[in-house]
Amino acid sequence: MSDHHKGDGSGVETFDARSPSRRRFLKSMGASGLAAATAPAWAQIAQAGQSQAEPVEPRDDGAPAEGEQQIRLTVNGVEHTLNVTPNAVLLDVLRDRLELTGTKKGCDQGQCGACTLLVNDTAINSCLSLAVSHDGDEITTIEGLSNGDDLHPVQAAFWEHDAYQCGYCTSGQIMSAVAILNDDNIGSDDASVREAMSGNICRCGAYKNILAAVQDARGRMKGAS
Amino acid sequence: MSDSIIGAGAIGSGPKRIDGQRKVTGAAPYAADHHPDNVAYGYGVFSTIASGTVAGLDLDAARQSPGVIDIFHHEHFPELHRSPSSMAQGNKVEETRLPFEDNKVYYEGQFVALVVADTFENARAAARKVGVNYKSDQAIANLDQGVTAHGTQKGQGNHERGDAAGNFDGAAHSIDVTYTTPVETHNPMEMHASVASWEGDRLTIFESSQGVVQQQGALAKIFGIPPEHIRVESPFIGSGFGAKLWMWPHAVAASAAAREIGRPVQLVVPRQQMFTTTGHRPETCQRMRLATDENGKLVSLRHESINTTSFTDQYVETCGSVTKSLYSCPNLTVSHETTQVNRGTPTSMRAPGAAPGLFALESAIDEMALEAGVDPLEFRMNNYAERDESLDLDFSSNHIREATERAAEKFGWHDRNPDVGSMRDGHEIIGYGMAACNWEALKRECEARVSLRADGTAYVTCATQDIGTGTYTIIAQTVSDLTGLPIEKITVRLGDTSYPKGPISGGSWTTATTLPAVAAATRKAIEELKGYATSGKGDFADAASDSLTFENGQLTHDGQSVDYVDVLKGQKLASADGHAHTQGADSQYSYRSFGAHFVEVRWDPGISNLRVSRVVSAIDVGRVINSMTARNQVEGAIVMGLGMAHFEATEYDARNGRPVNNNYAEYVVPVHADQPPEVDVILLDYPDLEFNEFGARGIGEIGITGMAAAVANAVYHATGKRIRDLPIFKEKLMENIPAVQSA
Repeated sequence: MSDHHKGDGSGVETFDARSPSRRRFLKSMGASGLAAATAPAWAQIAQAGQSQAEPVEPRDDGAPAEGEQQIRLTVNGVEHTLNVTPNAVLLDVLRDRLELTGTKKGCDQGQCGACTLLVNDTAINSCLSLAVSHDGDEITTIEGLSNGDDLHPVQAAFWEHDAYQCGYCTSGQIMSAVAILNDDNIGSDDASVREAMSGNICRCGAYKNILAAVQDARGRMKGAS
Repeated sequence: MSDSIIGAGAIGSGPKRIDGQRKVTGAAPYAADHHPDNVAYGYGVFSTIASGTVAGLDLDAARQSPGVIDIFHHEHFPELHRSPSSMAQGNKVEETRLPFEDNKVYYEGQFVALVVADTFENARAAARKVGVNYKSDQAIANLDQGVTAHGTQKGQGNHERGDAAGNFDGAAHSIDVTYTTPVETHNPMEMHASVASWEGDRLTIFESSQGVVQQQGALAKIFGIPPEHIRVESPFIGSGFGAKLWMWPHAVAASAAAREIGRPVQLVVPRQQMFTTTGHRPETCQRMRLATDENGKLVSLRHESINTTSFTDQYVETCGSVTKSLYSCPNLTVSHETTQVNRGTPTSMRAPGAAPGLFALESAIDEMALEAGVDPLEFRMNNYAERDESLDLDFSSNHIREATERAAEKFGWHDRNPDVGSMRDGHEIIGYGMAACNWEALKRECEARVSLRADGTAYVTCATQDIGTGTYTIIAQTVSDLTGLPIEKITVRLGDTSYPKGPISGGSWTTATTLPAVAAATRKAIEELKGYATSGKGDFADAASDSLTFENGQLTHDGQSVDYVDVLKGQKLASADGHAHTQGADSQYSYRSFGAHFVEVRWDPGISNLRVSRVVSAIDVGRVINSMTARNQVEGAIVMGLGMAHFEATEYDARNGRPVNNNYAEYVVPVHADQPPEVDVILLDYPDLEFNEFGARGIGEIGITGMAAAVANAVYHATGKRIRDLPIFKEKLMENIPAVQSA
């Protein structure tokens, strides 16, 4: 089945930089801004040789069909022009159209925080937000935090502190943590962090480790700045 | 902690997870992250009555909705077969009825139609246009109504020894109390999802599953095709807590729809239906009758439980499973019965039976101790069983006394003033409570394959799953331990039926089941390697294979060493491979895990604010394989136990059986702010070598057992009010509070 050619879909290739999957590679390109609106020629050739299921950068240049609107989203530094229906939700457009599946759907009604991402540096629940309301916005998803193996301090701290179990809420937890750590209005004490992170449910209950990771990342980010 | 742990130190250390980078970068693929070429999207239409029939469907508007490909329902669905639902055969399902089998409605939130469209948006929009006419019957809405309407059915797991009734009357001290627990819902973060694709008569399905092998077997029976034609993949799952052990109707619906329309179909179960059509922990009612002699020694113990089940299947919540063996008592009765209600079929939820059962047992022990005038800790110490009296077997390893004492010491139990409401701090009244925890240690059959490859890496496959517990990592630790390869050089692949058959990720048995198989496969691979080395073309051509040693990647004979990579390369071989098949546990001993929780609650009577401020737990699960992931399991189970104690209850309208809070906002689960500031987990780490060579018994479930009772006992100590009906909502502490009335 063509979907298997995404490579990393059926197991764990740990610490293995020798065979980065094409999908992950495209994501990392997006993250580092290498792949601007137009992919370089060699990447296009490589794409043509791959199965049709490979992710492509959707670029709806044509006029939107009846009932659709054209929007421009800059996602992790990459600009996308998309024709979307008015009922298309930002989360679904990112996941289904742009194949940025790192952002998760946990409830689809703004109750769990798994779909948290940054819009113009503000954390939102992307399941509650219509795509058409984000025309021209800059969006950062979990895929945009790291640059290949070069992890964002929050990501590194989550890994180090085992700040997850199943990993499904992790993208949302990390995106909220990034927002909180950049928000001067939120105190740095444990109780303030717990309160501020309470929109992100972790049903595995890794809260103790998540708190430790956020506080550790605070130090790492200070050190970096 | 170190990133590069090599060799014999690997078991018992705490390396960070080998799949961690993928989890923190969003690269780990979960079921609904798969979008095969030409995928279509399904969206369910779910019953809005709990009992009755579908009298008619109005599909005109939905059919005209943009992008709709097909709409399935009971009059338009392929004829399929039921799975016999046998775990031994490898095809267990919990809800045996197939979706769209007929027009009957057994519970609210049951599939009544499935819309398939070209996009998710179009499928959702069309699903909302489907009109359903029902003929509604009076629903059986809860346990009481079920028992009143049609009584109970006998369940399994019952036990009787001595004469419990005869030794109750006339005993020095006795209690007769009834505890109830509500429906609880697993609510894993990832909603159930299937992505099904057919090529001819071969099905590939990405599923959020705790048991790919069982799902493969069930789908084979349902579609009447060989299991080998079905591939189930679940490399990552957004947890399950039991909800994803057995396949639910959505997976059948997605698979059938994909075959019918000739396109892959992605179907995600909405959060609301995660409460209805994918299992839950059933409602229970448990009568506890305990009696002791003058010295507080148990002489009679009866634990009689009724739980709700569905009208389609019998599910027994074995609440008395632990009661049989935790305490020494010559006269004991455990019985389980069920009653049918209009809810979906229940299923195992983390520590099935034991979680609600130990709420009742460990609350009752607290009540019994107070009745007998004995400190609850001392009462337990006086009554803990020395051997399993239900099986008439010794425990393989039991350190519950040490666990209880160590946790008590660290918690400061001995400084407790036993008088109700006596410990105060400003506005708050402090309560101390404790409870034992307990879970059976199980081990199943398992296969695994290990390749030692010429590029210096190892490659491990097993069709079990890592559901967030750290299975990937502990398997890599095991291979590292035996081969000396660094963990970074070991690739582990799980969650795919094309690998050797592995166990479901449930029952806390994955560790004890998979590690021996992985170890045996590793040893076979090493044997094969030695065979190559001593063959005619080998480096030790004249040596006997068993005279070679293998350590840190080196084969050694007579003081001469060769890197195993060179052995393979020298003969142009890709790998040395081992495939092992290991068996389940024997019945020489009673294999169980033990522990104790100590909980401090703080209750502010002015505003009835109740919170758990401190937890100390000591857990005896045999050897700890990964100290970091193991601790995380217990800490997470404590959090879920606090949810069970304080918040969690799926509520049903008594008039019509409809769930009223089936969403994440109104079914309250613990969030960051509910995390107690101090949670201290002590892992005893005594290897249980009677159980398996690694001495590990498994750790996923035991932490939730006893937690709710420890909280309830602490609440009693603070308030004087005994809450026998979970959860302990603050509202229940607003009136008739002895600690306040006496103040």
